[in-house]
Amino acid sequence: MSFMRFIGFSIVRAWQGFWRNAMMSLAATATVILMLVLLSALFIVITGLNSGLEFIESKVAITARLVDNLSDENRAELIEEFEAYPGVALVEYVSPEEAMARLRESYRETGQELDTGGARITLFSSLEISLTDPNLSGDVGAALDANDDVERVLTKQAEYDTLLGIINVIRTVGLIGIGLVGLTVLFMIINTIRIAVYSRANEIEIMRLVGASDSFIRWPFILEGILCGLVGAIVTIALVAIVWDPIQPAMVTIFQMPTAVSTRFLTTLSVLLLGVGLGVGALGSWISVRSYLAAAR
Amino acid sequence: MTSLLRRRARTVDPDAPVIRMVDVGMTYPNGKVALADVNVDIPRGDFVFLVGPSGAGKSTFIRLLIREQVPTAGNVRVAGRDLIRMRRSQVPALRRRIGIVFQDFRLLPNKTVSENVAFALDVTGSPRGLVRQRVPQLLSLVGLQDHAHHLPTQLSGGEQQRTAIARALVHDPAILIADEPTGNLDPVTSWEIIQLLIQINELGTTVLMATHNQEIVNAMRRRVLALEGGHLVRDEATAAYEREY
Repeated sequence: MSFMRFIGFSIVRAWQGFWRNAMMSLAATATVILMLVLLSALFIVITGLNSGLEFIESKVAITARLVDNLSDENRAELIEEFEAYPGVALVEYVSPEEAMARLRESYRETGQELDTGGARITLFSSLEISLTDPNLSGDVGAALDANDDVERVLTKQAEYDTLLGIINVIRTVGLIGIGLVGLTVLFMIINTIRIAVYSRANEIEIMRLVGASDSFIRWPFILEGILCGLVGAIVTIALVAIVWDPIQPAMVTIFQMPTAVSTRFLTTLSVLLLGVGLGVGALGSWISVRSYLAAAR
Repeated sequence: MTSLLRRRARTVDPDAPVIRMVDVGMTYPNGKVALADVNVDIPRGDFVFLVGPSGAGKSTFIRLLIREQVPTAGNVRVAGRDLIRMRRSQVPALRRRIGIVFQDFRLLPNKTVSENVAFALDVTGSPRGLVRQRVPQLLSLVGLQDHAHHLPTQLSGGEQQRTAIARALVHDPAILIADEPTGNLDPVTSWEIIQLLIQINELGTTVLMATHNQEIVNAMRRRVLALEGGHLVRDEATAAYEREY
């Protein structure tokens, strides 16, 4: 038996079956598209929030405000001490002048100018400490707090926890939503293929009587389900590609998504959509045909 | 054309019965006994009638031979294969050694005569070249070479049954099982079909024909297996129908 004959036979019959049962096939494909659009939306939001999270992680995790009049020698010792502390990636000194420059810059970014009313303001000097793991901020913060050269410790733990909480909620709700839609899609594909199988019951019976193997009977239907998933995935990828152009700059500016990530994002998402579409199509039709053949045995 | 149906000798022992049933019983889960203590040997090349009233067990008998069902007792061997020990994956190969035709023809209405016959080769992965060679040969054997491109709806009942017979022969089977093949046909057409079955039998294929047609059985004077209430009540060579079912 030629394997190529088998493949050719299965593909041709799957294609014929898809169009013979066109309304049901297109309805199943539409539900695949709905599921994949939701999946794309969730993937975009989660990826954006993860980028934001990584951005926060990469930024200063702890700011240690130093006491006034700390000598250069003591400050150098303090920096040296915390550079050697477990979990600390980088310790950077921010002078009062630099702190003021940053404050002016942040005002400019919002379109305003810092107006001190002529008064001379001196900001605190501080150490900005990056961590290898944001979860260590509690330990490092406590050590800084206990140091006499440190006036006050500010961490980004609260912001980090808030964002992580939001991501987890979105991820959970999104996955539940996709799971429910996924089940609906699976149900639609199972029913579509089941209708196709029952409408060709005579053909299947003849195939069995003349000695067709289960593969010859099963695979055209499985490929028909895969075809629903494939068409659904291709349509969804096209839709995402159309809306990705306006979304991409927002991902970079709002979520601080690195450009390298944003350029390969569409490819990653396309692979995901194809995988899920084909997988759901194959699973649904496999379940449907398997139960029919088991009953017809 | 003779060589068309004489390319077998695939089974191990050429003298062994092509069908052997030993103490076969079939009881359905609801307790109904469809067959009980059936013992039958059908030699290669035989032409056998299977008769009996409705519900006698003829359909179960046939279903066991094509391994659509497995008996609850006894043993069944067909074309050298033990059907009890047979794995599910081996069933398609068995069915290529058995051709089967039915009263209602079971043709695919959207396929032509030629396509209906070719279908049986296509779905078993036969090479294109074999399909192109074999289909015209078989249509010629059953006398439908001029109807190759007709749809079943454009054929008479007899022509539809001939198409079904051609399809049943595509794999050069050792056995042809005909389940009431003349049930839907007028007497003249019925005799034409019987003549075709005899011709196929003479070419070496064992033929088992389930029928209610007393006239045909009496006229043919071939071996008759009679079932009643699941029991084989008669197994006689060159028998008549003897009673009307």
